[in-house]
Amino acid sequence: MAGDVGVQDYPIVWKKNVAPDHVELILQAPMLARAVPGQFVHVRTPGTLRRPISFSRIDPESGQVGLLFQVVGEGTAWLSQRSENSLLNIIGPLGRGFPPPKAERPWCLVGGGVGIPPLYAALYAWRHRVTAPISVILGARTADYVIMRQDFAKLVNQPIEVTTDDGSLGSKGTVLGPLARWRSRHPEGQVFACGPTPMLAGVANLLQGMGSVYLALEQRMGCGVGACLACVVLGEGENGPEWRRVCHDGPVFSAEELIWR
Amino acid sequence: MAVNLETSVGALSLTNPVMAASGTFGFGPEYGPLVNLGRLGGVAVKGVSPIPWPGNPPPRVWETDAGLLNSIGLQNPGVEVFCRDDLPFLRQAGTRVIVNVIGRTIEEYCQVVSRLESESGIDALELNISCPNVKEGGMTFGQDEEHAAAVTRAVRSCTTRPLWVKLSPNVADPAGIAVAVEAEGADAISAINTVVGMAIDLKHRRPALGGITGGLSGPAIKPIALRIVYQVAQAVHIPIIGMGGIRSADDVAEFLMAGASAVMVGTATFAEPGIMETIIDALPTCLSRLDATSPAELVGAALPGRGSIEEDRRPGDSS
Ligand SMILES: Cc1cc2nc3c(=O)[nH]c(=O)nc-3n(C[C@H](O)[C@H](O)[C@H](O)COP(=O)(O)OP(=O)(O)OC[C@H]3O[C@@H](n4cnc5c(N)ncnc54)[C@H](O)[C@@H]3O)c2cc1C
Ligand SMILES: Cc1cc2nc3c(=O)[nH]c(=O)nc-3n(C[C@H](O)[C@H](O)[C@H](O)COP(=O)(O)O)c2cc1C
Ligand code: FES
Repeated sequence: MAGDVGVQDYPIVWKKNVAPDHVELILQAPMLARAVPGQFVHVRTPGTLRRPISFSRIDPESGQVGLLFQVVGEGTAWLSQRSENSLLNIIGPLGRGFPPPKAERPWCLVGGGVGIPPLYAALYAWRHRVTAPISVILGARTADYVIMRQDFAKLVNQPIEVTTDDGSLGSKGTVLGPLARWRSRHPEGQVFACGPTPMLAGVANLLQGMGSVYLALEQRMGCGVGACLACVVLGEGENGPEWRRVCHDGPVFSAEELIWR
Repeated sequence: MAVNLETSVGALSLTNPVMAASGTFGFGPEYGPLVNLGRLGGVAVKGVSPIPWPGNPPPRVWETDAGLLNSIGLQNPGVEVFCRDDLPFLRQAGTRVIVNVIGRTIEEYCQVVSRLESESGIDALELNISCPNVKEGGMTFGQDEEHAAAVTRAVRSCTTRPLWVKLSPNVADPAGIAVAVEAEGADAISAINTVVGMAIDLKHRRPALGGITGGLSGPAIKPIALRIVYQVAQAVHIPIIGMGGIRSADDVAEFLMAGASAVMVGTATFAEPGIMETIIDALPTCLSRLDATSPAELVGAALPGRGSIEEDRRPGDSS
């Protein structure tokens, strides 16, 4: 089960540039390697707040985890400049990850851009559990940003479907095209998705009425542990709409429990 | 020299002067796995209203240089749910429990305070008078002496518990407000709440926060907080709980010398959940270095007539 949350320093054992402005750090972190895919860590960077990053890899055997991030501002730029052997101060594992997929249902993993990594962690954890066909759909701006494609390819038999905004790899367009086709073939399937909010809204909309659809969301955070009520998204409550905390009630939500506006 | 961290805020004793600030520490259990609550001087819970408040749309936080803007909008589940779900945990947490009280009318503040009267395990009430007063067109209760006094008077008549009134920095004369609420029976002053500000999201060409404006906290506001504590300390006789940007034992000592009897730590906990314990650990050494054996010895040390002003810093010599 999920490891207990703690705050600790972990060494970077390996660092790799995986795409332009995309860096993956592998940490030796046995406490974090008990995490559930979809959970995240809150990493100390200079400044007032920590930075939330999902697990790209969770390997309980080696006690290593991966964090793969895009450099978008000061915090991620600082993280990208850390060298191997330096320590990262981390709170984690945090939040509610993906539920274990059902063994006998076709499983589709849908990742957009820097939302791809947590799906790799999910596939790695549960690839033997799911006996039904496993499909992977990855979307990004251009070919350069279809990250972790080779990693996925090693774990699934079927070809990976790729879409890019400019058509530089796979088909031109968004993940919604291949996902619609997958759905028509597998109405009883289950879907895990992570990516930019508009993509997730599209996935939720497309798969309305389908039971097992789980989405990993992002929201700006303060504490990361459920205390400050910063990171809310709108969900269905017993008595109408109510806020859910991405850091504590999520970041993974069932598509049915969210309200998209 | 042995240092004793025991502190009193009026009649209330604390094991040490460092408490968690309202709104940054949830209702207690959230930080349980990361913070030893029993080591804290106290915990001020998130503002509690008579019925649930929904709060503002996201984004609700935005990092700024040396600070944080928030527009949480005082989301909370209401006093009933607080009493049912959160108080039992807080009662056994081994720390002082301060309930931060919010309302949109004077009656709402009184409803919360009256409801809490039958509950044990509450050590003090902290009135957040930075709430918009719906009967006065949304102007906050803390905006002028008359309204601040009125809400304090009304709440005072509902409870004998220690009553702390938390000042807004967004007024011309915070000390005047402090004097007004002291006259109505406030037992202590908390200072300061957040400073109104805003940021622009360049990418989306709009205000960064869902609530448009927000409250600035963190190191950026420490000088403002110190100034207000220093002014209030000269105007009232009741104790002051100082806060705003505290991150170290030296910061605590600054607030003590400016006139605070105890302090609260808010935003700094987000980056370092253990920071209050770190500060508590560092305080004995810090106090010794400052030739003090207790926090109380430093309270107000920098106030006029108390500090040791050196020759070249006498008033009149400054530029
Ligand atoms: C649960 C969760 C998991 C995430 N996982 C990943 C991941 O695996 N890989 C990855 O590249 N990114 C991930 N993100 C987004 C990542 O947190 C932001 O890109 C990062 O915080 C940006 O920090 P910065 O200082 O570089 O950018 P700035 O824009 O300078 O950051 C300013 C502030 O805004 C916040 N912020 C900016 N963008 C986001 C965002 N998209 N989501 C939340 N907060 C944001 C920052 O944390 C910081 O407080 C995740 C976000 C969340 C909420
Ligand atoms: C996210 C957040 C939520 C807050 N919520 C409340 C609140 O509910 N009631 C209140 O009186 N003050 C609230 N505050 C103000 C803090 O208690 C404190 O007065 C202020 O942040 C200054 O201290 P700091 O710089 O150490 O954070 C909040 C502050 C933050 C950052
Ligand atoms: S970030 Fe504080 S509640 Fe989620």
